[in-house]
Amino acid sequence: MSKENFSPEQSLQLIQSMINKAKDACHDTGIAAIMWGAVIAICSLVRLSELHFEYRLPFDIYLLTIVAVIPQIYFSVKEKKERKVKTYDDAFMDSLWLGFGICIFLMIFTTSVMYSQWNPVAGEYRKLTGTEFPFRLYEFNSSFFLMLYGLPTFVTGVSMKFKPMLWGGLLCWVSCLVTIYTPIKIDLILVALSSFFAWLVPGIIMEKEYRKAKRELTAANV
Amino acid sequence: MFKELDPILHSQLRLAVMSLLISVKEAEFTFIKEKTNSTAGNLSVQIQKLKDAGYIDVKKQFKDNYPQTLCSITKQGIKAFEEYVTNLQSYLGKGEK
Repeated sequence: MSKENFSPEQSLQLIQSMINKAKDACHDTGIAAIMWGAVIAICSLVRLSELHFEYRLPFDIYLLTIVAVIPQIYFSVKEKKERKVKTYDDAFMDSLWLGFGICIFLMIFTTSVMYSQWNPVAGEYRKLTGTEFPFRLYEFNSSFFLMLYGLPTFVTGVSMKFKPMLWGGLLCWVSCLVTIYTPIKIDLILVALSSFFAWLVPGIIMEKEYRKAKRELTAANV
Repeated sequence: MFKELDPILHSQLRLAVMSLLISVKEAEFTFIKEKTNSTAGNLSVQIQKLKDAGYIDVKKQFKDNYPQTLCSITKQGIKAFEEYVTNLQSYLGKGEK
């Protein structure tokens, strides 16, 4: 590839083929989406079983989300090392999901501060009246989180033209609206369903496509 | 009257490198070599020419104790590439009439 006397038609063809080659090189793994989809679904279902069968695990099941950060860091570092090319989409996705992670952390912190201030008030009410306070703050927890889950999922689906995530993001937002009016057990089922369809299923599809592309690339290089 | 095509870009390998870099944020030397089917020596020379023209940035660093060369297109490179494509289109448009 060193010729300098080539026609304008050949130039345009070359430009087109190189742009296509750059596009073909970009496939995301679905590992992180699979892991987070599974973790959130498991946490919600375990909490549901705790409420339904009236037992408590010796630890808070949602601590699993903190543990899951460790493999997430490992996957991110591994993926970064293997990546030979960084597209504008990659840069956008990285900052979108990092921003989402920060928002989730802030949401957990904010709600825990809210609870710490709210619980004494509710306790005082119970002592004075002998009945539970009619407003239950935790009933809205799932709605806030589902609203957040929907944003990066929907944006990823739209920008990557990946319909399973687009629909998954919309499902999170519909579930967010429904959970405002449903009791906590239904909320937990909806969170589990949303994480299953917004992350786990699209993650499996992405991983399948990634592996297929990798196999084709290996076969082409043999 | 046709504008002359940029001689820096009107070379197959240099144009191939620029076309790859226009669609990505940055790419490793090995990636460019693989996609352009070029030899390391020839590619190094052409990348240096593009760098000297101010069309691309070349960053050298270490990754797992191995040297890594990362290339990315500059604003000047994007402008030159766009002008090149516009000029190409005017050539082709004239040819079709």
